[in-house]
Amino acid sequence: MKVMVPVKRVVDYNVKVRVKSDNTGVELANVKMSMNPFDEIAVEEAIRLKEAGKVEEIVVVSIGPKAATETIRTGLAMGADRGILVEHDDEIHPLAVAKILKGIVGEENPDIVLLGKQAIDDDCNQTGQMLAQLLGWAQGTFASKVEAEDGSLNVTREVDGGLETVKLNLPAIVTTDLRLNEPRYASLPNIMKAKRKPIDEKTAADYGVDATPRLKTLKVEEPAAREAGIKVESVDELVGKLKEKGLI
Amino acid sequence: MIEKSHIDHLVSLLGPECATTDQDRIAPLLREWRDKYFGHTQLLLTPNSAEQLSDALRYCNAHGVAVVPQGGNTGLVGAGLPGLANRDEVLISTQRMNKVLDVCPNDYSITVEAGVTIKEIQQSAETADRLFPLSLASEGSCTAGGTIATNAGGVHVIRYGSMQALTMGVEAVLADGTIYSDLSPLRKDNTGYKLSSLFAGSEGTLGIITKATLKLYPPERHRITTWIAIDDINSALNILEKLRDVTADRVSVFEIMPHSGLELVLRHIPSTLPPFPGKEFPWYILAEIGSSIHDPVLEETVEDCLSNMISNNQIADGIIAQSEQQRLELWKLRESLSEAQKHEGGSIKHDISVPVSQVPEFVKTVAPEIEQRWTGSRVIPFGHLGDGNLHFNVMQPSTMDKQAFLANWEEMNRFVHDRVTDFSGSISAEHGIGSMKAQELKRLKPASSLHAMQMIKKALDPNNILNPGALFTRD
Ligand SMILES: Cc1cc2nc3c(=O)[nH]c(=O)nc-3n(C[C@H](O)[C@H](O)[C@H](O)COP(=O)(O)OP(=O)(O)OC[C@H]3O[C@@H](n4cnc5c(N)ncnc54)[C@H](O)[C@@H]3O)c2cc1C
Repeated sequence: MKVMVPVKRVVDYNVKVRVKSDNTGVELANVKMSMNPFDEIAVEEAIRLKEAGKVEEIVVVSIGPKAATETIRTGLAMGADRGILVEHDDEIHPLAVAKILKGIVGEENPDIVLLGKQAIDDDCNQTGQMLAQLLGWAQGTFASKVEAEDGSLNVTREVDGGLETVKLNLPAIVTTDLRLNEPRYASLPNIMKAKRKPIDEKTAADYGVDATPRLKTLKVEEPAAREAGIKVESVDELVGKLKEKGLI
Repeated sequence: MIEKSHIDHLVSLLGPECATTDQDRIAPLLREWRDKYFGHTQLLLTPNSAEQLSDALRYCNAHGVAVVPQGGNTGLVGAGLPGLANRDEVLISTQRMNKVLDVCPNDYSITVEAGVTIKEIQQSAETADRLFPLSLASEGSCTAGGTIATNAGGVHVIRYGSMQALTMGVEAVLADGTIYSDLSPLRKDNTGYKLSSLFAGSEGTLGIITKATLKLYPPERHRITTWIAIDDINSALNILEKLRDVTADRVSVFEIMPHSGLELVLRHIPSTLPPFPGKEFPWYILAEIGSSIHDPVLEETVEDCLSNMISNNQIADGIIAQSEQQRLELWKLRESLSEAQKHEGGSIKHDISVPVSQVPEFVKTVAPEIEQRWTGSRVIPFGHLGDGNLHFNVMQPSTMDKQAFLANWEEMNRFVHDRVTDFSGSISAEHGIGSMKAQELKRLKPASSLHAMQMIKKALDPNNILNPGALFTRD
């Protein structure tokens, strides 16, 4: 089997993002960028399927600026086999991403596309579902467990109020949730090997996709700052304050 | 007992806000975090300005009332607690002097009151797009004054120096109430003795620091964090040398820990992951290269450098963190080691340094000597290899009673300190002397140095009212 894993370059999860002074977006200049954590989980899962002998090849794909090559290299250093960079400098939205991915699927013919359930920058949680619809494939979203069988996948999904297990006929789309696995570290020998793995370079136009955003961002603002707490001297004062605020 | 008339006078001088005899308010400041020392005092002063403190010290000096200054009370050598060894001392806490006064990005400087925590200083610097580089596990509590007074070190010394190097000037109240000040962001000022340096390592014995001007640096917006496995501790020196060389000396962190230490962390600390699943190596290095810009070329240079060292068998294996999350995970392995040791039983601690070039030889020679002499004990040396500073801690034999093992504390200290001295090292690399190592200092510091220290002490504090229990022994 062949697995395709789309990976997005996003502002690192641990960076404190700052809104640009003109309110058009968040500050990206000189900010640490990393692979979207859910995508890291997807790469790890693909590698585990390969280690279990269920998968022969893993292709990581990134749609983004030239620097997204580094994100692809991270996937290759973890253990993926080759990469595809669809170079695109401007803002891009899930539908356009899904259309490009559909184009790549047409050329690569993977059995599984493993995606993160959402990217932590825009939190859209749409690309996997849109891709499933465009391809007419089965989808198992928010996966916390994936088991490969002949011609099918058993996917345990994290749903409100519990877990749900679905059986998907291949080819299929899976999107990862946080508890699926713990991604591995990239070892030095593997980082060096990754430098020799091939990365194809493409553009949205190669797949006939018009990636112009259909949504316009009007304004980006900081959330209201939380008010500082106060210290009370006694239980009575605490009760008094709570009453004052109408909380009890 | 401190005479009641003195207590009454000091309370009336500072007012009930800033002076208290209420033991409920005093008690939290009398315990240190390891429960190794318990202080006692009848009076706590929390002055809010140098002027107020000056009034108090002038009175104390005139009447021979001893005082102990305290910042965040994170010191590890029993130096910031009053009333040890049955002395009578007033506790003076800097907790009300807690304001950041000025951050000047162009001067790369910050001026703070003595009670501001290191964490707050780091955060103020960050807001101004600057780095305050001192970084240590106690940074959430320890203060500007306390870290100057102990000349604290931490993990960034290899690149930025210890607290002394980061201090450009101080304001301090001397024993006689004089307010000394050389607060200034001047990088060059050769007008006589650099007196602010005198407060580095003074442990509250020369004056009470009330303000400080500290150095800032460009931020490390990008960090290459690597966890390296080595078979032979000798390789560590080659790795350090190569990394400093190829990164244009941007190595900010170079820490070492043995496999036995990693094992303790993985066993006792929740949510820690083995960096090399299924594999073991004798030693690990955590190194970090910091840069103010995102520099893919630098990353490649580091990768090439390290992988070359794998090819010639200097490095056994390695990881480079691919995200801040992974970086924090690797850091957690190093930073949890002290805590993990606590879960494993008693350990006898040594905070020592030797010349960096001597670290491998020291470890290879002295660790077996100890394990032979104290049968069943395990030496777990870890720490700031880049500074030649090891926390040379010795764990109890697993079957032995904890107290029985800890009874060897002083004897083992003397043994290790003798060997450190043989290697031209220091018996206190970063934690200070306090009352804990005063005897050892007297035993091992060259007499001429001790004499010079005593002359300075006598000149600035002739009545010996400032932290009389620290640094010097009573006789
Ligand atoms: C978990 C932990 C990790 C640590 N890690 C490190 C480390 O990596 N590197 C390192 O160097 N140290 C380390 N330390 C110890 C270190 O000495 C202290 O954290 C710090 O330097 C002390 O600051 P403080 O404000 O808590 O001072 P305190 O503990 O309150 O006082 C320490 C000494 O300074 C004196 N003092 C305090 N304030 C003043 C003042 N305003 N004027 C004059 N004298 C004053 C006191 O009298 C005392 O002698 C660690 C401690 C802990 C608990």
